[in-house]
Order: sequence, then C-alpha cells, then structure tokens
Amino acid sequence: MTPILFGRWQTRIFLLATIGLIVSLPLALGIIGPTPDGNFHPIFFWVVFWVGVLGLLWDILYNYLQQYLWDHDWPGAFQFFACIAEGIVLGLLLKFVGLPFIDRDVFDLPWFIVHYTAVSIIAYFLSWAVMRILFPRWRFRGGKWI
Amino acid sequence: MEIQLSWEDPTSGELFEPRLSAPIAFGREANQIPPTINDEQVSPIILASKQVSRFHALITANNGQLTIEDRSANGTLINGLRLTQSSQTLNSGDTIKLGAYEITVTIESMVNNVEATEVVIGEASATEFIVPSSTIVFNPETDILEAQAIIPQEISTPGRAFPPACFAAERVSIADINAAGLPIEESDYVGLGAGMGSFTWADTMRCFGVKAEQIVILGIEQKPYGRYQRLCQNSQIPAHERLRSGSDSCPDNIWGWPGYAWRESFKEFFRGQVSSSIKHLWQVFSEPVLADTYTPKSGDVFASVDREAARIGWEKMLRYGRFRAIRKTEDGRYVIAYSRTQGDRQDHRFLITRYIHMAPGYPAIKFLPDLQAYREKYRDFKSVVNAYEEHEHVYKQLITKGGSIIVRGRGIVASRIIQRVSEIRRQNSKVTVLHLMRSPKPEGNKFGVAQRKTENQWEFQPYNWPKGTWGGDMKKRLEEGSPVERQRLLTDWGGTTTADRSDWKQIVSKGLQEGWYAITFGKVARVEQDEQGRLVTYLESSNIKGESKLNADFIIDSTGLEAKPSESPFLNDLVTHYSLPLNPLGRLQVANDFELVEMRNDRARMYAAGVMTLGGPYAPVDTFLGLQYAAQCAADGLARARAPKASRLNGLGSFIQWIKWATNQTP
Repeated sequence: MTPILFGRWQTRIFLLATIGLIVSLPLALGIIGPTPDGNFHPIFFWVVFWVGVLGLLWDILYNYLQQYLWDHDWPGAFQFFACIAEGIVLGLLLKFVGLPFIDRDVFDLPWFIVHYTAVSIIAYFLSWAVMRILFPRWRFRGGKWI
Repeated sequence: MEIQLSWEDPTSGELFEPRLSAPIAFGREANQIPPTINDEQVSPIILASKQVSRFHALITANNGQLTIEDRSANGTLINGLRLTQSSQTLNSGDTIKLGAYEITVTIESMVNNVEATEVVIGEASATEFIVPSSTIVFNPETDILEAQAIIPQEISTPGRAFPPACFAAERVSIADINAAGLPIEESDYVGLGAGMGSFTWADTMRCFGVKAEQIVILGIEQKPYGRYQRLCQNSQIPAHERLRSGSDSCPDNIWGWPGYAWRESFKEFFRGQVSSSIKHLWQVFSEPVLADTYTPKSGDVFASVDREAARIGWEKMLRYGRFRAIRKTEDGRYVIAYSRTQGDRQDHRFLITRYIHMAPGYPAIKFLPDLQAYREKYRDFKSVVNAYEEHEHVYKQLITKGGSIIVRGRGIVASRIIQRVSEIRRQNSKVTVLHLMRSPKPEGNKFGVAQRKTENQWEFQPYNWPKGTWGGDMKKRLEEGSPVERQRLLTDWGGTTTADRSDWKQIVSKGLQEGWYAITFGKVARVEQDEQGRLVTYLESSNIKGESKLNADFIIDSTGLEAKPSESPFLNDLVTHYSLPLNPLGRLQVANDFELVEMRNDRARMYAAGVMTLGGPYAPVDTFLGLQYAAQCAADGLARARAPKASRLNGLGSFIQWIKWATNQTP
C-alpha cells in the first residue's frame, strides 16, 4: 500500500472505531475475559483508545521511514511487524508505567494479548478489503477516505 | 569548436542532439546561469531534475581542449566516476551523468562562432533538436503494427468530402450535419477507442449507474485487450508469462479487491497446488522487500476482462468505426465523424453526444532513428525489427541455425528477449546476444533519501513508475506540482528500468559469465549492410572500451518509444482545430481530473486517458491502474456535472456494486 500520513491516520481511526470496538464488545460486556461476570468493563474500549492515540504517533515514524524505500510504499510485511511492535510497547506501558483510564491493578496482560491480537489481525485483513470496497477512492488517495 | 551533446529524455525517451559551442552550462534554473563567461556567450542546457543543481556544471574550451567543471551538490559522473566541485578534461565520446540525465559528448570539428543556443527541456524551443520522427504505425484497418501501414485511400467525390466542409467551423450546426445526408446517431456517452482505456471507463460508468444502452464505444478492436495482447505476444509475453503489473491493478474490478494474487492463490489452493498458492500470497504480503513483486499472468488478466466485458454488456456498447474528427456543436454537444468504410463500400457516419471519454492509445511506436534509416535504405524489414512488431522469424532462425542478435534498449522487453534467448540456448547453444547501450549505468536514480537499485548495467524498479505515484505521497506531489515541478519529478522517478526479478538477474549474470551475453556501450553512427549482406553497426569513435564496428544477424529495437499526439491525424486535427494546449512533454494537457477543459461546450464535457496525458497530473497513465484512476476521475467529474444516471459511487452503494461484481450480476 502507498499511504500518506493523513491517510494512515484516517484509516486507523476508521478501523479502530468500527472493527476495533466491535471486536472488543465480547470482552467489554463481560461475555469472555478475565472476569466474565456479565458486567460492563470499559477498560477494553480504553485499550482501543490508546492503540489509536499512540498509533497516531507511530504513524509519523512509519511515514518517515517510508521515504527510505524507493517506491515510497508500505509493504504488508512492514504493516504486520509494526502491529507487533506497537502491541509490545503498549503492553509494557500499560503494565509498568500505566496510562490514564486504565488501572494498572485491573490490567490483565494475557487478556490484553488476546484482545490486541484479535483487533489487530481483523483490522489488518479488513484494511486490505473493506476500505477499498467501501471507499473506491481510498487507494488513490493514500488511505484518506474523507 | 563544435560540440554535439546527445541524450534521451528520461521520461519520454525522446532524443535530443544539440550542436553547441563551449562554454556550455548545465543547470536546473536558467536564471542561475550567467549569460557570458570570460566574455564568451554561454549555451545553457536546462535540465528538469531535482538531482540537478541550479548551476550544475560547466564545459569550457581552451586551446582545443575541453574541460568540465562540477559546481553541484550531488556531483557529476564522468564515465561513471564522480567529479565533485572540481575540474577535469573531457574527451570526445565521454559520458557525463547529471542527475537522471546521461549525456554523450562528441567533439564535432573545429568550427568557430557557432551561435549560442539555449535548450530548455520541456519547452517548445527544445523541439528543434528532435530528430525527424521515424515511426511504425497501427494499421487503421487491422490495428496490426506495421512498418508502412496502408492508409485506406478513400476516394472523395467532389462535394462529398468527409469530414464535411462544415467541420471547418469552430462550432458546427446540427442543420449542416443533417445536410450532409449521412447516418446520424445520438448517444448520452461516447468512449473513443475500443481498448483498455475505454473499457475501464465504461466499467466505472456502469458501476456508477449508467446503462449499457447509454454508452457507445467507437473503435476497431473486437476485444478490449486486442492490441495490448498483440503487443504482449510480439514482445515475448505469451498467456502464461507475467505482465509488469500489480496484483491490485485489475482492469476488471474498480475496487482492486480481490487482486490477481488472491484470485490465483485461491484457484491454486483448490487445485491442490498449495505451495504455489502460499507463495503468491507471501509475495503480495512481503513485496518488494522480502520477495519478488507479484505480477499476474497475462492470460489471467485477459480472461478476467472477458468476464467483466460480458457482465457490463461491452458488446452492446461497441460500435465498429474509425473516428476521424470531433467538433463542438452549436447546441452544446459534440459531433464525431467516423468511418466504417471497408474495401470499396464507403460508409461515413456521425455520432452526436454530450459526454466524451477519449482513450485512443498509442498512435504509433517509434523506431530508433538509425534503425529506421537502415530499414528505409535497404528495405530490409526482417533483420532489423522492433520488439513490438511480429518478429518470431528471428527466434525460429536462432533455434535452427544459431546466430547473434544485438538488443537495443534496457527495459522490460529487453529482459524478456534475453530470457527467450536463454531458453533458445537450451536447443541451440550457438546463440549470442550483444546488448548495446548508449552509456554505462554507474548508479541508480536518486530521489530524496532513496535510491534505485542497479546491477550489471540494468536498473530495477518493480513497475514502470515507483509505487508511490499510484496513490501515495508521490501521486499527491505530482498532482499539486507546477508544470516545471512535474517535469522534474517525472525525470527523477521515470527512466528505463526493468522488473527486479531474481530469475532475470540470474540469467544476465550467467550469460555474462558464460560469455553468450555481453554488454557494449556506444552511440550508433549508422547501421549498414556489408558486401555479404550482413548487418554492421558502426559506433561513433569514442574512448570508451569497445569495438567501433559490431556484427550481428539481427537487431531488435526494444526501446518501445511511443509517439506524440501529432503523429495521430485524429488528435492532430483536434489539437490544431481547437488550439488545445500541450503539456511540457508535448502530450494533451488535462486538468487534475483528466478533463480537456478547453473542449467544454456549454454542458458538454470531454475527458482523456492513457498515454496521451503523460506529463500531466498523474505518472502511470498508461498502466491498468492509471487507466482505472483516470476513469474514476472522469466518472466523478461526470457525476458532478449531473450527467444522465451517473451518480458518485461510495460507501454502501459501492459495497452493493461490489457484491454484484463478486456474484457476476449486471451492475
């Protein structure tokens, strides 16, 4: 893919606000998760929120690195490894530093891994297909859909 | 002292050969070059490249000796060796490289007082150095590429001229058209040209809600890919070979999903070819960094176009005819004069419409001038051939008798020819290839912090333009750039490259090692036949190592230069009649949405696509993806102009259309 910075941001926000929230529902509603008690656990939505906020910063880095590739493109493999790097950094931050809205005592690392992986993998595959099918101009506009 | 400089424009491949006297200054901006140096008038050469400094280098003459001085930030390469902020002597035959420009210097003779001449690439004044055109054209009846096409001689009886005399007007009245007494048809939309450009546009319009009955496609091809397929076959890409095109560049699917890699992988998986299936997915996942770039088989692409053509009702839209002229009408529409004449049966007609999309394709393919001169002198069309013409006889003779060929050009077609020869060598090992190049390739093009890869004098890039020009930051920059800026960007991103395929690189390395493939540099002076009727290529004397006389049984020109609009009588008429502006590359100037703004006629709109728009807002205009992009821009423009039944496709509507595509239902 050949994203531009605004395109990366718009696509990230779109995917997290749709797929990200849908995939988080079973955990947030307490159907599955560390405490499957049927109660509302907003922490999972906050995780998606932080994936998005930190992601906007990561995108600046990716956009910079992209200039070093002759084709100025962003291979699928890079997108995949970037997802893993982002997950590790966010996991470490939540576990050892803490971020607003997420209580470090409540944070459950194994379930974070499950949640993050599910969101990332589904968003990854859908970014190839859904964005193009819903927004036919998306691929020509560096990932901008607005 | 008269100096001849010679170079090919990196974007258009056009040859520039000005004869100048020293001092000669090279730079990016004319106002940074002093008009005189040591009281001598300077000949400025303005080069459009971001890698060229504002005042890059200077050639001076002193007592018959030329000196070149580098004044640039990036340096100048003299025969591949870098010169930075210093001077050295320059000899006849030396090659100097400034940014993407490779210029051969030839000292002509001792001539005094040659007037200083200014060369500005991309401006009209530069055209005086262009060699006379030498082209092979597509036969207007059969569309086959021929050395001398027989243009149908239409006998025009007095008073029955076609297009009629009323076409001399700026705007033609409908009454005058009626008075011609010829069949007239009306249609909401007309696509000119029945090739891939019109196909992608019609496909997009159909998905935007326009009915097949509203569109007429005028052309002579039966299949949208007819001409493309013939050029592929001649240039050694049969159905099972792969095109240089991306997985997502699908002319049969406006969304680009699923791409050809997914489809091929899916098909292979269910045939039990699991490893090949995984390989193709791995390619699209990791290209171009961890794997060779995926490219689809030409046969698969054509099959997919057939399916889509049936789905959108292509045959219903298609009308056989050779379009001759377009005029604006007094009632705010266009009239197209076209001919269906076959043999003696004269058949002229008119088509009236409000919306035109024009994608006539390449009017002709150019030959290298020295090869064209040879063909004209000796009337020998068998030993000197263009890679895009039918030239199977060359390979047949190589298989049976062995022999030697000279290949000119270092692009994708040259790669395919060398691959073919390596296959032939399994049957007959007495086959050799001499690759004749104008100058060495010491380093790849640079842009910003990135640089293109080179190996064994070949330069690599997955596709003919960097992928960023498809829809990324490079596309955005080009679209936003001024004409001069666009010219510079295209120079730095373009140029002749071949695909970074590991099998091709291996063939080249192996060929060099085993000696059946060799590379020679030099500028060709002329090609002749010797007493025995054998081909001889004479190189201009140079100090670069190599022979000055080369023998071969065949010469294949694989440079694949395309011609300008002026080579097409139809486009030439349109451009001159309406004084349409041309872009710096001499192609049609289009707006960012590919509209020919000067052709507006009240509500009537006209759009163009394809190679005729090169040098404008988009780089890969003659690729499948580029045609799709142009089609989308035009369709969006038509929807904005409230053209009948055209509505902008997005969101849910787009999803529904995609479902129809996936389930093969009419849009």
